[in-house]
Amino acid sequence: MKPQNKEQIRVLIADDEVEFITTLGARLKLRGFETTAVSSGIAALKAIEKDPPDVLVLDLKMPDLTGLEVLAKVKEDVPAIEVIILTGHGSFEAGKEGMEQGAFDYIMKPVDLNQLITTIEEAYLQGKAA
Amino acid sequence: MKPYNTLKEWMALGALKGLGVESNKRNYRKIRVTLFSTIMAITIVPLVMIAGLSYYNYNDLLIKEERDQLESRVIGSIRNISAMMENLKTVILFTARQDRYSELIIEANLEKLFVRLKQHYAFFADIGVIDSNGIQQSYYGSYDLAGNDYSNEQWFKEVLAKGIFISNVYLGYRQVPHFTIAVSSYDPNIRKQWVLRTTIDASTLQKFINTIKTDITDDIFLIDQDGVLQTSSALYGEALSLYKEEEAVKNGYSFSSVLYGEALSFYKEEVAAKNGYSFFKTVENYFHGTGKIKNTPWTLVLVEKRYVHHQDWLTFRNRLVITVISCIFIDVLIVHGLVSLLTNLIRRSDENHLKLLQEAEHSDRLASIGRLAAGVGHEINNPLAIINEKAGLAEDLLAITPDFEYKKTIADCLEGIGKSVTRCSTITHRLLGFAKRQEVNNQKLQINDILEEVMVFLENSMLTNRIKIDAQLQADLPEVVSDQVQLQQVFFNILNNAIDAVGKDGKISVMSHTVAGDIRVIIQDDGPGIGEDVLPHIFEPFFTTKESDKGTGLGLSITYGLIKKLGGDITVRSHVGRGTAFTVTIPV
Repeated sequence: MKPQNKEQIRVLIADDEVEFITTLGARLKLRGFETTAVSSGIAALKAIEKDPPDVLVLDLKMPDLTGLEVLAKVKEDVPAIEVIILTGHGSFEAGKEGMEQGAFDYIMKPVDLNQLITTIEEAYLQGKAA
Repeated sequence: MKPYNTLKEWMALGALKGLGVESNKRNYRKIRVTLFSTIMAITIVPLVMIAGLSYYNYNDLLIKEERDQLESRVIGSIRNISAMMENLKTVILFTARQDRYSELIIEANLEKLFVRLKQHYAFFADIGVIDSNGIQQSYYGSYDLAGNDYSNEQWFKEVLAKGIFISNVYLGYRQVPHFTIAVSSYDPNIRKQWVLRTTIDASTLQKFINTIKTDITDDIFLIDQDGVLQTSSALYGEALSLYKEEEAVKNGYSFSSVLYGEALSFYKEEVAAKNGYSFFKTVENYFHGTGKIKNTPWTLVLVEKRYVHHQDWLTFRNRLVITVISCIFIDVLIVHGLVSLLTNLIRRSDENHLKLLQEAEHSDRLASIGRLAAGVGHEINNPLAIINEKAGLAEDLLAITPDFEYKKTIADCLEGIGKSVTRCSTITHRLLGFAKRQEVNNQKLQINDILEEVMVFLENSMLTNRIKIDAQLQADLPEVVSDQVQLQQVFFNILNNAIDAVGKDGKISVMSHTVAGDIRVIIQDDGPGIGEDVLPHIFEPFFTTKESDKGTGLGLSITYGLIKKLGGDITVRSHVGRGTAFTVTIPV
């Protein structure tokens, strides 16, 4: 496990499972990402307003705002942020809808960390290019 | 409306009662009987009514015609007899010219007259001259009746009043039937009335009757006011016997009053006088026509044993009966056929309905199991993700920690956790796939290509088990628009199951052909087959007969979910010991 030397990618993780986001955040930090974890949609929007990240990893099912609502708001306010949808849903439709609304990709839980990192890096590169 | 969970529950709640499905079975016999009797009644009642109407109308028509004919014959006969009687009366009236009284009271003159009359009219029996006081002044005949006093006789008073009197037929002193004609005349010389009385042999009347009797007339005779026969009757006996109802009944001929009311009014003068003639129809097709002969005490009776139209009537009746019976027969056949057809249709429709309900229930159950599985999968995914991350973090941290005594063991433990999480997620992802996971990626496909790809993919395991595969693929199958990957998975799952089922040295046949515009793929194996108790459950998730490490019990449920999503259908037939056949139908 080598900390990344390249430019730090700032990742915001929004999911109502606190145990999940803290652990995932810790693991991404270990890999050189700058991570922030929030446990609700509104908290995610507040965090974005305060300090917009490069990539948003967004759960679809949250108690206050759904992932899709947050996605719509983000794409409206700060379209530069790339969003990766993370879902425990088997629902392809939800993912597909997210993709249509401008999400970069969607990944099913439980996550293969390497796959997630690859996707985050790709999203970051795309955000940069745009 | 609350959805019912099972068909049984639904039926228990009586929902099917409205459809006539009572305790799962309609009484088809009752339907058949009700339908049959109703349609028969509807069709036969008008038929019988029309037949009855025709029967009575034609009967009435024939009777009327017959009556008209009889009537004209009666009138003709009466005219004939009247004419003969008039003739006779003229002769006597001529003989009793007014001023011949003085001449005729001399017996020698009377004898001369009688002899002259006898030369022309042999039927005169005797002749007498009576004065106004009723005393017979002269007589010529077989008896010595001169000097007889008739002044108190009814006929004498009548002849003085009316000028002529014709008696009933009676047996005279000679016991031979006779009748009397008496005429009165006024002699201006003596200024008194006188009477000429002759007795005539009744056989004269018989001769008259005989002359007017024809072949078509069965019986013709005269009766008097009291119904006493004046001439002999073929049916009622000799002259002077009584023409009576009792007699007729005894002979097998009875009178009825079907047409003209009171049976014995026949004898009544007032009826005869009023109508001139009257008619009776008897029960046994006898027609009796009667007519009063004017200025005589007699009534003519004309009897026709069988009326002329009898043959017409019989023909008509037979035709009518044959027509009605054949109509009823044909009716019964048609209605029976129709009712059978209808009842069978109802029965088949009920069966189809029940089958559809059962199928709907089955796919409902599969769908709810699918939803449940998806829900469970989703709920498990989140904690699984946490376990995954926690174990991952522990691994990460372990990696940057210097060696310690149990580092290796802990790393192994974490790796084990990771592998188990992967296994779990495979299951949950499949569960979620049963619901809806993958996008349908439609493209034009050849089903045969997909089948061949799948067979190539499984070639290895078939070779290993020395399984023979027999592919009969219809060459010109139409292209379908469907999802290639999902169809591959469908056929892979079925074929993989078949390989597992047949074991070593088995045989699997794969057929494809078009049926009613759809493409049908049949994958059949000669394996041990699936028991009846197991068969209904094979599409349910987690249902497996394989050993626990070999199957998850999700293959066929996923297959089912996929094929339903693609708009197709999958069915299975199996016989224990003979094999199993899966039929996949894909819409074109």
